[in-house]
Amino acid sequence: MDLTFNDEEAAFRDELRAWLGANDAGPEPQGDEDAHYRWRRDWQRQLADARWAGVHWPSEFGGRSATLTQSAIFFEELGRSRAPLPADVLGLLLAGPTLMVWGTDAQKERLLPTILNAEEPWCQGFSEPDAGSDLAALKTRAVRDGDDWVVTGQKVWTSGAQFAKWCMLVARTDFETPKKHQGLTYFVLDMDQPGVIVRPLRQITGEAEFNELFLQEARIPDDAVVGGVGNGWKVAMTTLMNERSGLAFFLQVRLRNQLDKLIEEVAARGMLDGAGGNAIAQKLGDLHVKAEVIRLTAYRGLTAIERYGQPGPEGSLTKWMWSQANQELTQLAVDLLGDEALTADSPWSYELLRARGNSIEGGTTEVLKNIVAERVLGLPRMR
Amino acid sequence: MNFDFSDDQREIKRTARDLLAGRSSFERVRAAAEAPAPPAYDPALISELGELGWPGIAVCEEHGGQGLGAVELGILLEELGYACAATPFLGTVLAALAIEHAGSSQQRERWLPGLASGEVRGALGSAGAIVPDAPGAAVVVLLDDDGGATVLDTAQDGVTVQTVATIDPTRASGRVSARADVGEELPGDVAAAVGRAAIAVAGELVGISQRALEMTLAYVKERKQFDIPVGAFQAVSHRCAQMLLYTESARSATYYAAWAADAEPQRLAEAAALAKAAASEAGREVTASAIQAHGGIGFTWEADVHWLYKRAQLDAAFLGGTGTHRATLARLVSTRLHTMDA
Repeated sequence: MDLTFNDEEAAFRDELRAWLGANDAGPEPQGDEDAHYRWRRDWQRQLADARWAGVHWPSEFGGRSATLTQSAIFFEELGRSRAPLPADVLGLLLAGPTLMVWGTDAQKERLLPTILNAEEPWCQGFSEPDAGSDLAALKTRAVRDGDDWVVTGQKVWTSGAQFAKWCMLVARTDFETPKKHQGLTYFVLDMDQPGVIVRPLRQITGEAEFNELFLQEARIPDDAVVGGVGNGWKVAMTTLMNERSGLAFFLQVRLRNQLDKLIEEVAARGMLDGAGGNAIAQKLGDLHVKAEVIRLTAYRGLTAIERYGQPGPEGSLTKWMWSQANQELTQLAVDLLGDEALTADSPWSYELLRARGNSIEGGTTEVLKNIVAERVLGLPRMR
Repeated sequence: MNFDFSDDQREIKRTARDLLAGRSSFERVRAAAEAPAPPAYDPALISELGELGWPGIAVCEEHGGQGLGAVELGILLEELGYACAATPFLGTVLAALAIEHAGSSQQRERWLPGLASGEVRGALGSAGAIVPDAPGAAVVVLLDDDGGATVLDTAQDGVTVQTVATIDPTRASGRVSARADVGEELPGDVAAAVGRAAIAVAGELVGISQRALEMTLAYVKERKQFDIPVGAFQAVSHRCAQMLLYTESARSATYYAAWAADAEPQRLAEAAALAKAAASEAGREVTASAIQAHGGIGFTWEADVHWLYKRAQLDAAFLGGTGTHRATLARLVSTRLHTMDA
């Protein structure tokens, strides 16, 4: 056991920290979602120009061939410097790595270069109104028509679709097979065509990060099939396996920053002083323990992958821990700061509302518990 | 960054697991707990652990120990917790930790060789509080309210060890008091020594949690109602998932703290509070869940989960519970943030 970073990792952190010290994204635009997107896009371009956008990508594709630990360091430092995530996280973390595994040479050559600098951003067309956690139940159909596929159906919770050039689309191409995991195909869909209609979904925060996506005879050329016709489930699993890579470290640091902010505000009001402050200190300390445990458990997960080539139980737990901790933190802020934290212009009120999505997005806590119960603990399939 | 045990550490863990499976089955634990004046320790187990050098695993070689560190000691305690072993080991290693890290050279020479070999039994705890393994201890490190500690030779006049019957009959407990003119102060960094002790107790709690989880999994896979294993019901399986979350959280914090104790002692105070907070919560929650998931059987004296629950309760309360350590941590962070701003 050695929980220090080796020389290469330390050098990586130093170089990045120095760069983040000299470069920043500028002031965050308030209230205007398009401006906010452009702010993150420009930030990604700054990162890409200095080769910091896709650090985990192999150098042949413009990355730094970073190890898992270096990738974790990247997201930690990004969070620590209070910089935003790059605009096209979906392209960098999901589409790019999926294409590297399953894409043809022509696909890689055409699609990878425009991910790093956010020139052609991505969205993910997996979930449907009747296929959420049960992804294989999806109904969007793709039918061959000459050299093209014609796609009809509806996708939902499609983050960033309003800005995306490409969509990772999973559709059914075989309607006869009795096994629903078979007969799916993974496509790259060009969003820029009349058959693709994007309708923003307003969230409880008032903003619209995600959308409904209506596909009305949208066309996809046959050479945009990824990983072969009928192989879509396997390709989609590659995408989903990458879903939580590295990002956990960014989210942990963000939680840490918010907790520190709350502790400072509470301490400044004298609420931690004396025996009377014990109850409040215990609540904040509970969240400190959770934040630390998320960080340590995420690092344990990296060790498991680096040593044994597969994630241990840790990977399934950190997202669950983080969403719970973030919800508890934002609720505690309201408890401790009073109703001023519930006014529309308080940053805490936004965090409170946004946190409700944490235990739903990217796998609900209930589904995570099922995964832990079945795959980690070996319990029989749930009823 | 590598969170994995070394080959040697893995070997220690495997050896301990195998040995205790044979020498400290629940049958033996029960025999110790159900004796007329519990606990009736098995003298053969005590001497075997001594011969293996376990009590001295973290004592320096100069004084007859193996010279290994907090990680190795934590591994042994995890396995003793896993077995819920009824043997006076914890008190001895905690007394040795305190004397080794905060004692004078005279105190080390006097006590460490005996503690390391297991021939001398020890205990550590706070004045007025329940001290595990105090009955039968030849030396007690007694912590006072002001952050100091006294080494007491229990054979001396003026030292009183009063046996206390607790809910945990697998471990002897007592309260210790001493006349003001008796005993020698520990001259070194008592807080750091107590931090090390807290990390060691956290190790035992991790083992207790792991065992309670495994027993529960075995039970809910086997026990059927409505013709299916009860572990297939989400109300049960999600409880089990939560038990894993607590256990792994405690493990992350405890392994980190054990590593920090030797490798980065400047982080010891915070890491110890973190480990003890997480492990105390895990021990109590996981063993309580184990009783619940076992249903009516879990509430009977006949099932073995209650030994784990009882041990977890005592360990959690010992050297500060979850709440105390959480409050300490929040104030440490607050001070650090304040210092950074200034």
